[in-house]
Amino acid sequence: MRLFLLYFSVGVFLIVLQGTFLRLLPFGPVVPDLVLVLCVYLGLHHPTMGAALGSFLLGYSVDVVSSRLLGLNAFAMSLVFLSVYLSSRSIWIQNPLVTSFVVLLAALVKGAALVLLWAVFLSVEGFWLGAARYIIMEALVAALLAPVLFALLRRGQNYVEKFRVAAQ
Amino acid sequence: MLAFLRKNQVALSSCCCLLLSIYILTAAARGQLKNEPLSALLMWIMRPLQIASQETVNWIKGFQENYDTLAGFRSENERLRKRVQALEVERQKLLEAEATNRRLKELLDFRSHLPDTAITASIIANSASSWFQSCLLNKGSADGVRKGMAVVTPLGVVGQVVAVTARTAKVILLTDPNSGIDVLVQRTRSRGIVSGSLEDGTVLKYVKRSEDIQEGDRLITSGVDGVFPKGLLAGTVIKVRKQHLGLFQFIEVLPAVRSERVEEVLVVAAESGAEKKP
Repeated sequence: MRLFLLYFSVGVFLIVLQGTFLRLLPFGPVVPDLVLVLCVYLGLHHPTMGAALGSFLLGYSVDVVSSRLLGLNAFAMSLVFLSVYLSSRSIWIQNPLVTSFVVLLAALVKGAALVLLWAVFLSVEGFWLGAARYIIMEALVAALLAPVLFALLRRGQNYVEKFRVAAQ
Repeated sequence: MLAFLRKNQVALSSCCCLLLSIYILTAAARGQLKNEPLSALLMWIMRPLQIASQETVNWIKGFQENYDTLAGFRSENERLRKRVQALEVERQKLLEAEATNRRLKELLDFRSHLPDTAITASIIANSASSWFQSCLLNKGSADGVRKGMAVVTPLGVVGQVVAVTARTAKVILLTDPNSGIDVLVQRTRSRGIVSGSLEDGTVLKYVKRSEDIQEGDRLITSGVDGVFPKGLLAGTVIKVRKQHLGLFQFIEVLPAVRSERVEEVLVVAAESGAEKKP
């Protein structure tokens, strides 16, 4: 439960960051999707029901603050989590390059899911080219930042576990 | 069955989340999802954080904008400063051109009173020795300058040409101890020789003690030496001293032309055509 709360708090913090501070970064209109990186992290290192629910909630939170239609990001994040979880047995992440690659693939999955849902629920003319550009750029930025965020999350996790052991 | 569920609980829960998402999407797309409590709760959680973050971001943006504005002012200031410098240089050039134009015009006017053979020349160098008061002109024998010609300006006498090459002419100035110009005191018509001296500056020599010479008297060329046209100002008397002994007075003269301030001169042929030593 503590870890769930920790990751959810981190997720909320990342959502706030994405809406405010990260807009200042020089990536143009693309905002680094740190929530996606967190979902990938959860799928790889915390494949639990709580993490699945957490991914959904984080996606839903993104929808609440930014999406035109509720459920879009909730679906995409849940799909990312499921994809990473299902493939996590065959992935052994030990270096930042692999981390970046996994996050890149996950971002592409999320982008594909969003495009699909967008096409079904929100048909917008001339959407595909712009979407493709956004997906690729967002995936690259997320992949770039993933190793740093992974390292920070691992450190936070170690801290919480030490705290739990000390409390016991 | 229970074992299957337990074994695949994560995948199943994820699938449930996916289905729930689809349901929410459908409901939202149909407009059936109004006033749903989870959104309100999440917004309630995130709102203060977002406000605080946005305030900070606004502060950072403001700071950045201020910095950019300041940097803009700085670069604008630098640009304007360079512009002012360029304009100052241009202004100096224009002032210089105007002054040159004025001098040349005066020289031209003055030239109309002189013989047609007058040659306009520029001073290109001054004496390299403190023992001699001379200068070099940019005109020489190829331009018609001959040894012994008078060098004058509208202000008065400058000196006399003492050496000529094809493209240059050396002029010994009125203030040189070796020079000597026959002059008249304009007021009394007394005659004398203006010459330079190492110890007393420019002096008027050979004026009898009995002559009435006063400070401020103007000395003009007499024209009798055949070198300088008559009536040119050579200088002004600034000091008169009658010694107890001797035939002549001591008269100090302020030259009419300060050679270090002259840039253009006229070289005038001797009226008599003779080349005389200064």
